[in-house]
Amino acid sequence: MVQGDDLARVISGCKKGDSRCFSRVVDMYGSRCYGYFHRLTGNNDTSDELLSELFVKLVEKIGSYRGGSFESWLFTIASNIFHDYLRGKQRRKKLAEVSYEELEWEIAEPKHSDGEMVDRLQSQLVKLDVETRELIMLRFYSQLSFKEIARIRSEPIGTTLAKTHRGLKKLRQLMEGS
Amino acid sequence: MNDQKRENLKELVEKFFGAGQAESCLQDFQEAERILREHPAPRPDDMLISNIKAEIAMRLPARRARIFRHRVWEAAGVAAAVAIVAFLGVRLSQQPDRQHSFHASLLPTAIWESNNIVADDVDLAVFTAEIEQIRSEVAALESGEDTADPDSAIAELEMELVELNSDFWKG
Repeated sequence: MVQGDDLARVISGCKKGDSRCFSRVVDMYGSRCYGYFHRLTGNNDTSDELLSELFVKLVEKIGSYRGGSFESWLFTIASNIFHDYLRGKQRRKKLAEVSYEELEWEIAEPKHSDGEMVDRLQSQLVKLDVETRELIMLRFYSQLSFKEIARIRSEPIGTTLAKTHRGLKKLRQLMEGS
Repeated sequence: MNDQKRENLKELVEKFFGAGQAESCLQDFQEAERILREHPAPRPDDMLISNIKAEIAMRLPARRARIFRHRVWEAAGVAAAVAIVAFLGVRLSQQPDRQHSFHASLLPTAIWESNNIVADDVDLAVFTAEIEQIRSEVAALESGEDTADPDSAIAELEMELVELNSDFWKG
């Protein structure tokens, strides 16, 4: 659990360029952010890259953090990084004339060949569309309220709530049926 | 992690799904989140975390240099703005006070520079009375109350004005 005062002190240190404070942020949020990326991409190497990119961005952008929920700010960056990654993949795949559906599958398809352990949840998550999957992971790993998530996604809270509910219900059915 | 806990999910669900559906909806949320908790995602390697921390430490000096450059530019901008404001202020203060000199020119120099306040007040009172008299005569002429010859009345008024003007400027 991240205490508010502790977090405020750490962020203040980050703004002053204290490397120990940045290390503390990595320790605080590294696992959650890695989980978010891993559940979205299903791939260790990609998750490693995205997590590194997230914290590099954090160093660059910490000056623009003006208070409010730090989780919300951090996961907004994480979400943008994931969308950039998707767009990059899409561009490369378009060049190779592969459809978006195949791309989505390929992004989320767990890699058996590189010896990664694939759990049951990951194999069911790929059956959800990217948007729903991202929404569920954002909710679960960021631990943000629906109000915050709706703000990040620039949509009404009712829409966010309904989409999450549909997604979670479907995931539950998939898990129970598998 | 506090945001989600501060949220009253039951209240929110009831608001958007209605009291009838709220219970099953909440159950869907809780069950699905239980499944997610029971299947934790892999954790990042210690090596990855160490590499990230090392990369951050490597990038910090560049960030500090960028912040320093940014602050220097900011300070230069503020200094330039202050210099421009100061320059304009000096230029404006050196210009003659046109408004003041305009008002001064309305009064005859003799009255303006005179120290005899009582005599000046008498003169001003006489001028004021004469102006009032002329004003009332003009009003009478305009309303047609004055039955005398209009040409001679206008000539008389002009004479009075000329006389008043010369008296005024003589002080």
